[in-house]
Order: sequence, then structure tokens, then C-alpha cells
Amino acid sequence: MPKFSQQVILGMAYAVVAAIVSGMYYSGALGAGLVSAGITLPADVASFSIVALLAAAAIFMNASPLVVLSAGTFFGFFVLSVHQEEPLVRYLCLGAVLFSIGMYGMVASRNAVRVLMSIELMLNAVNINLVAFARYVDPSEVKGQVFAIFILTVAAAEAAVGLAIVLAMYRNTATVDMEQFNLLKW
Amino acid sequence: MENLANLAEINAASIETWMFYVLAALAIPFAYGVILDKAIIRSGFLLIGVFGAISGLFLILQAQFIAMAQIMIYAVGITLVVVIALMLTNPRMDLDLKPAAGNSKLTGFVVSFVLFAVIYLAIRSDAWPIKGELPAASNVAVIGQAITGQYSLPFEFASVLLLAALMGAIMLAKNEPVEPEILEYSEASGAASDAEAEALTTAR
Repeated sequence: MPKFSQQVILGMAYAVVAAIVSGMYYSGALGAGLVSAGITLPADVASFSIVALLAAAAIFMNASPLVVLSAGTFFGFFVLSVHQEEPLVRYLCLGAVLFSIGMYGMVASRNAVRVLMSIELMLNAVNINLVAFARYVDPSEVKGQVFAIFILTVAAAEAAVGLAIVLAMYRNTATVDMEQFNLLKW
Repeated sequence: MENLANLAEINAASIETWMFYVLAALAIPFAYGVILDKAIIRSGFLLIGVFGAISGLFLILQAQFIAMAQIMIYAVGITLVVVIALMLTNPRMDLDLKPAAGNSKLTGFVVSFVLFAVIYLAIRSDAWPIKGELPAASNVAVIGQAITGQYSLPFEFASVLLLAALMGAIMLAKNEPVEPEILEYSEASGAASDAEAEALTTAR
């Protein structure tokens, strides 16, 4: 039996509660409950805000942010994508979620290599969108997949050049901290 | 029989849906791990998980070629380069950082949340022109014809870009002892100028 820290256990409890809330939304119980309680909020907005508020409360109660954010994003994304039932919208929502996570990592991280990893994440999110369009909008001549191949090429080139630049900077300044890279500041 | 066929269709669709949610439930925590994990070498390895889950998504979208290319290029190639770069730089940097000047976490959160809200509103505002037909069984042939026919010029440009980028990366990352060469060069040029000066003086 592996020992989990209290933070992780709190985060898992949050994940279970969020799963129950989104399961109630999926089965329609939450909408019925809202109607019987006389609240005129749409069920998807209500469950999405319940999940988000619970996430804020769980992080405030010192739960593990990694677990809480993962579970909250997943169940919020589940609610949002079930709300629109087309399969294409699901993929576009997942692409938007991954793109936003990558954007957060790109803005907030201090390590230059982690910034490059976040950029790779964002390029992959774009690829999901392109392949989903190729599957559902243009299934006969899959143009989106051709664009995805070009993005793959450019991403490989970008990773090679970016990491070489990081290595050169590290050799000259002995750090990979983004705060220290201010040579181009005027 | 018709009912059975309908049932099989419904089952295939629901299996695809469940596969999608399983892969999404893998991809989102891995992505959070990439940007939040304290040990950056571990987030480099978690990147493999994100790319693997996304290549699974490509498989259920019936893009077999892209899925395999994703595994080969991203999950093996790019992640290997990232991990090697982590080993060559200072992986324990995050543990002894000075606090930043601004609050970059709050900025990042606001930027990414606004971005997600805008993208989500754009996604659900429009009715997408979805076609119900299934894609061709061998869409690798379709991609190959598109790349060599209609998109041959961008394809050539992409290959030139890749060649130039790899040569540039090698030039940037090569550990050249710069200063001795400059010294030698200046000495050589100095000697040359001395010889020239001597030649000039003797000519006079």
C-alpha cells in the first residue's frame, strides 16, 4: 500500500466529488435538482461553476494543486464538451484546454527548457484541431493532415534550434533562468 | 439484421467516445505535470506521456500516418533532445531560484484563462459544416498525392527549412574555442600586415 501525503488525498477527494457532480450533470439529475430547487441557472453553467468553486476551495485547503487542477480541468472539459454533442467540438475543446495549459507554462515558467516544452505542447494542441477538422469537415481529401505534417516539420526544426540557443546561452551565462535572459532588453 | 448493424454502429461510436475521454484524462494531467512538476527532468519524461496520448487521439481520428509520425518525431525525437538539453544544463535550477520581480503566475493564469474563454466561445458560436461520410481507408495514399502534387512547393520549402535549421542548430551548439582562433587570426593578420609594411618600406 503506497503512502500518499495529505495533499494528494485531499486532491483525490476533490476529484471524486467533481466526478460525482459531472456524472449528475451527464445523467440529468443536476438539471432536475436545479429545476426542483427553483434555480433558473442552466445545468452546464451550474456544474462548471460548482467544479471551479470546489477547486478553489480545495487549493485553499492545501490540497495538491497538480491533482486538483488536473481533475477540475478534466471534469470541466467533460461538462463543456457533453453540452455540445458533436464529436468535433469535443476535440476542439481538448485542443483549447491543452493550448491554454501550454500558454500558462510558457508565461509562468522560469526555466527556458520548460518554456520550450510548453511551446511543443501548444503545437500539439493545434495538431489535434487540424486532424479533427480533417476527420469531420474534410474526410475525402484530408487536407488537415497535410498541414499537421508541415507543423510536425516546423516543430522539429524549432525544437532543435531553440534547444541549441538554450545550450549556447547556458554556456555563456551559466543559467537557464528566463529572468536572467535580458541581453536584448533596451 | 438491420437492428444488429445499427447496434454495432452505436457501439463503435460510444467506444470511440469512451476512448476519447480516457485519452483526454491521460493527456490533461500529463500536461499539468509538464508545467508544474518541481523536478524538471521528470516533466521532460511526462512530455512523452502527453505525446503518446495525443497520438492515440490521432489513431481514433483515423489518421494512422500522423499518429506514427507523432510517436517517431515527438515522443522519441524531440523528447530525447529535450532530455539531453536538460542534462547538459542545470536541472536543479528551480530549487534555488531567487523570487521573480513580477507575479508571473497570476499573469500566466489570467492570460491562459482569457485565451481559453475566447477559444471556447469561438468554438461553440458557429455551426460546423460536418460531413457524415467516413474517411478513405487508405488516407496515406491521399496524403502522399497531396504532398507530391498540390502541396509540392511547400513540401520542398519544408525540407529546405529542416536542413537549414539542423545546420544552424549544429553551428549554435558546437562548442568552439572562440578566443584562441581570434588570437591566431589577429596574429596571422598582424604578421601579414607587418610583412606588407616591410614590403612597402623596401619598395620605397
